[in-house]
Amino acid sequence: MPVATFNRKYLSSLVGNLPDDKLSGEINKLGINIEKLDDDEISVEISSNRPDLISAVGFARALQLYSHRSKRYNYAIKEHEPVIEVNVGRAVKKVRPCIASFAVTGLRFTNESLAELLNSMDKFTDTYGRARRKIAIGMHNLDAVEGQLSYDAYADGRFVPLNSSKEMSYRQVLEDTDKGEKYAGALPGSKAMLYPALRDEAGTLALIPILNSERTKVSTSTRNVLIDVTGYSEYMINKTADMLAAIFMDMGGEVKRARINYQNKEMRTPLMETREITMPTRMAERDIGVDIGPNNVASLAAKMGYDAAYIGDKVRFSVPPYRLDVINEQDIVEDIAIAYGYDYINPVPIRSIISGLADQAAVRRTGVSELMVGLGFSQMMNSYLANDTINFTNMRIKDNATAIRIKNPKSEAITMMRTWVLPSLLRNIALSLNEKTPLSAFEYDMVFSLSGKKPSEAYHLAAVSSDPKANFNWIKSTFEALSYALGLRCKLERYDHRSFIEGRCAKVIVGGKEIGFFGELHPEVLNAFGIEEPTVAMELEL
Amino acid sequence: MHRYERAILDVLKEKKKLGLEELEGKAGIGRDETLWALESLSAQGYVELEKEDMIEVTLTDEGKDYAMSALPESLLLAKLRERTIKAGSLKDKERIGFQWAKQKGLVTIKDGSILLVKKGIGAYEKGLPEEQVLKELGKDPSSYASLSKQHPEEIAELSKRRLIEVRKKSRVTGVRITAEGESADEGKEGIGGLTKSMIASGAWKGAGFKSYDVDVQVERAVPARKHPLMQNIDDIRRAYISNGFREVSGPVIDSAFWVFDALFQPQDHPARDAQDTFYLEDIEEQEIKNKSYINRVKKAHTQGWHYKWSVDTAMEPVLRTHMTSISVRYLYDMLAGRGKDKDYPVKLFSIGRVFRNENVDYRHLADFYQTDGVIIGKDLTFANLFDTIIRLYSWLGTEIKFKPAYFPFVEPGVELYAYSKGLKEWIEFGGAGMIRKEITGVRRRKLTVLAWGIAVERLMQIRENGDVKSISELYNNGLGWLRNRKIV
Repeated sequence: MPVATFNRKYLSSLVGNLPDDKLSGEINKLGINIEKLDDDEISVEISSNRPDLISAVGFARALQLYSHRSKRYNYAIKEHEPVIEVNVGRAVKKVRPCIASFAVTGLRFTNESLAELLNSMDKFTDTYGRARRKIAIGMHNLDAVEGQLSYDAYADGRFVPLNSSKEMSYRQVLEDTDKGEKYAGALPGSKAMLYPALRDEAGTLALIPILNSERTKVSTSTRNVLIDVTGYSEYMINKTADMLAAIFMDMGGEVKRARINYQNKEMRTPLMETREITMPTRMAERDIGVDIGPNNVASLAAKMGYDAAYIGDKVRFSVPPYRLDVINEQDIVEDIAIAYGYDYINPVPIRSIISGLADQAAVRRTGVSELMVGLGFSQMMNSYLANDTINFTNMRIKDNATAIRIKNPKSEAITMMRTWVLPSLLRNIALSLNEKTPLSAFEYDMVFSLSGKKPSEAYHLAAVSSDPKANFNWIKSTFEALSYALGLRCKLERYDHRSFIEGRCAKVIVGGKEIGFFGELHPEVLNAFGIEEPTVAMELEL
Repeated sequence: MHRYERAILDVLKEKKKLGLEELEGKAGIGRDETLWALESLSAQGYVELEKEDMIEVTLTDEGKDYAMSALPESLLLAKLRERTIKAGSLKDKERIGFQWAKQKGLVTIKDGSILLVKKGIGAYEKGLPEEQVLKELGKDPSSYASLSKQHPEEIAELSKRRLIEVRKKSRVTGVRITAEGESADEGKEGIGGLTKSMIASGAWKGAGFKSYDVDVQVERAVPARKHPLMQNIDDIRRAYISNGFREVSGPVIDSAFWVFDALFQPQDHPARDAQDTFYLEDIEEQEIKNKSYINRVKKAHTQGWHYKWSVDTAMEPVLRTHMTSISVRYLYDMLAGRGKDKDYPVKLFSIGRVFRNENVDYRHLADFYQTDGVIIGKDLTFANLFDTIIRLYSWLGTEIKFKPAYFPFVEPGVELYAYSKGLKEWIEFGGAGMIRKEITGVRRRKLTVLAWGIAVERLMQIRENGDVKSISELYNNGLGWLRNRKIV
């Protein structure tokens, strides 16, 4: 979840000067967690379905609506001829096909409002825009733009990038600037590299999605801006443009559409469509399980920014264009629940009489575990994840293609699923050497292996005992107690297992199938784990 | 305490340290009784004995016999001086004599006859030194000290032939009372260790019992313990079962389809990234037979998230990142009409390990426990969900709070918080909500599904009032930590 940090003074200029407790109370009611709140700054966790709250303006809007301090539901744009034209070239189709654009006039920035806006755009494209791969946003000084715009992909080009005085090639920008390094991954890499760029008649406005030009830089004195949103999903960039347009409208700017001339079609952005969703008036009440009263549905929805109207026994909700997450009536029900307040939802019991039932295998494992504790073994719970050193090398054995391996390991510590429990226990013992002997531990949990290409998941019981007097008979007597309690009808055979001393290991066979083994561990195994005393062990699939 | 022991202790309490003879005199008891009582007192730690080491030599029966007459080889030598003896005609002791004479190189055999060699003649004339040593020891065992210095080889031979027995022995010369002895019994007589025979015979009657010092330092016994996390898991299971839930389980290794896609998680969602989820090598992709179900999931993604849904991405094998993958499988079976339960509501729960591709450190773990629950029923509400959570987690013994939250597969969604009295803060322990109809494939009016997922280790942190400082502490599995853990 992205964390947005707002300048407290700037936020106050948008929502009024609220004292700490009132501000945090309102924020909490919206279901937003506050990370930090002081006189200078406020940090909040924005959930991934509400990118419209990442900007201070959008965040303030939600607070104003919720507290009835604002009643702005309408974000329609006056129809007029587009003031900007963007011609989309053929080459960009394979690289970054979609663009939305618009102009905003009549803006008045302060240091805080501009910094906050740029900051929120970065935060949005870093998170929701998947580090600008999915969505990138550019903002330019409209008055510095000359003539028609073209959006295409180029083999290279030159321009003076933002906050620089030196002209650079596209390639240099990618290789030699911080932004280039950070966002190079957003470009599809290929041998014949093509760079998506937005150009006007005077040259490059932006190497997309990396860096804008110094020429069209926006400053506090800028009054009119040009916005571009690019990506590969037409739906996503249009929704983003809508969300941005609403922010500029709330800032007092006038949003003017652009005409996008694709090779085969023409679009006018932002769309600023208001979607309508109709549902039965009682639906929210029925789903939430509270008594809202039919007349209150619209006013609750209004707190969340919906313009709602009753039509017979139904309500029609207008979904504001800045909401990217509202799919259907279920999402509106949630917003009504939030507006109603989770704290006011009274718990209602479900009337039913059913008997519960435990998983019988789990019950049996509990019984076996209790027996092991009774035999003096303490219970361990270890990770199911392992590596070759612990699972194989330390145990003097090799992987015969039975281990399930992690495709994307982050460290050498975790590269595979454990195939047996014993190595985990030996690590536990090695970490307990200054404790009084006998060091006895067991674990009854899962192991994993491949049988052919199919994964197999099983439960193993393993136990180990480290003590100056530990020997084969010691572990055998533990095994006998266990197998008697479980009623195992088993046969024992001498087993040459490399983890154990030769001639001091037994294989346990039940119904013709090998289910495990026990014996006295090989000194090399003990050395590998740093265990000092003779150690006996068993491992059984149960 | 026996009266002899009491008598000795009484003397020692006054004198502290005494020689054995002096002690006998003062206590007024005989040598044997004194020694017996002292051994017993020493075993109980009431006295320290002063001992002198001494060596005691005794002749065995065979040794005594030879000391009276002569070693068998000397007898043989004497006979050989008179006549030739055939080796085959030797009897009893002569055979023993022959073996030793031969071993010592005193005789040889020629044509079946035993002949005296030159060394044998010398030995006969001078006499065997080991025989002289044996005879001297027979007369005076205390001569061992000087003999063992002058004739070590002879002593060794005699000992090896089991003609003499050398025993190290210590002799009590004096005694000193210990601190325990000073305070022993405090004047009362009584029984120390109760025995089976005392209980059977009633010999304890009237004797009284010796008392123990309640402040005495003893070593703490070492217990074997159940893992506290498992204890918690059992408590969670008990809460579910007593509220009418049925326990279910399912695969740890699953396809992304069940872990993400079936739960409406878009394919480019950061949670699905290789940074967060473990993907697995060399595993055959699992086939999902019901094509109409796949199509429904595909449609939900395409219409809800506006992107091209890929079936290949959905089929990649992963380690489950939550237990909801198990819930959704059951949900699918149930709602597809393949499940046996048709009496709604159906209540299910699962508990097991889930995985995140984290760098493991003291705060982060790559695998941990989660429990998931679902209720499938008619006319269920969000308020029912709140009630269920409160009922299931009332055993935490603390207040529970609900906050709005977003999870792609539920609407409305809620985050669950419980107040930790130890940490004095609200701790998030899970998420819940009503499953979207895109996932159930059934309109809410017909059937509603309530679902929740709980972080088990978080419950422990809440329950133990902050005693569990970090979650990884639970997985270090130190034996000392477990042995010394307090019961919650």
